[in-house]
Amino acid sequence: MKLLFSLTVACGLLAASLSHAAVDADAAQAQLKSNGCLKCHSVDKKKNGPSFKETAKKYKGKADGEEKLVKHVTTSPMVEVDGVKEEHKSLKTKDAAEVKNVVQWILAQ
Amino acid sequence: MPKRVISKVRRWAAGKRAFVVLAAGFALAWVGLTLFGTTMVYTSTEAFCATSCHEMANNSNMEYIGSTHDKNRTGVRATCVDCHVPHAPIPLYIAKMGALNDLWSHHVTKAVDTREKFEAQRPKMAQRVWTYMKGNDSRECRHCHTPANMDPDKQSPVAVARHEKGKREKLTCVDCHFGITHHEPKSGPGPQELDVDRSLIPRSAIF
Repeated sequence: MKLLFSLTVACGLLAASLSHAAVDADAAQAQLKSNGCLKCHSVDKKKNGPSFKETAKKYKGKADGEEKLVKHVTTSPMVEVDGVKEEHKSLKTKDAAEVKNVVQWILAQ
Repeated sequence: MPKRVISKVRRWAAGKRAFVVLAAGFALAWVGLTLFGTTMVYTSTEAFCATSCHEMANNSNMEYIGSTHDKNRTGVRATCVDCHVPHAPIPLYIAKMGALNDLWSHHVTKAVDTREKFEAQRPKMAQRVWTYMKGNDSRECRHCHTPANMDPDKQSPVAVARHEKGKREKLTCVDCHFGITHHEPKSGPGPQELDVDRSLIPRSAIF
């Protein structure tokens, strides 16, 4: 009985951690759309900002890649677009999990 | 037509009958032109484009609904027709002829009649539209949006900077404003990566 209970708890935790690790593509894309990210960033085509594919190439596999991107989309750093400096817009959501989901989706491109 | 037939018809239509023939000719022309005009107008409505075939109703229209051209603060809408059917007369007639291809695809080849086929053809369809729009310098966009009358005081600084960049680099509207209504295809070049020959595409208000 005790064994069954602990096994169930272990499975539950495993499932929870796995589901936490999977990227919710729909939620990420909804966030990108509602925050206006797609006005400047395309997934793989040339627009105003780097495409998500380019970004993923630059930051994938890097230890602090995710952290750097999270900072980029939440702290409105100055970016240079064609010689003109302007503030990069931040995600409206303050939920860390949602931000992480978006960043992980970008890194998966 | 052989001379015999022509002279026979002329004899038949002579005299008082000539008036009847003339009136019938007018009536026929009136009916014909009305049918033509009505068809041109009806096939240029949102109801026709968005709902008469399932390829559009289940794919393109679903993406359009909720987009900024559909729902926005002021309720001013740009429907299928406004972007995809030229307003200038000659390009309009050319486009309407081209639209006969839609009938062919829908009834005969069934090229995009399932979601999977539609998605597979999406890059090609998008590139076709982008090529057309680049070639005519986004003529359909300019039907509503006049860059020279964009008030910089009413635009955000980012927008002002972008449009100045666009002017400098001789970009056309669709080079940056793509994927705004319909989903971007997941592969293939974007408008800025397409090399477009502008020679054959009608550009202006008449031609």
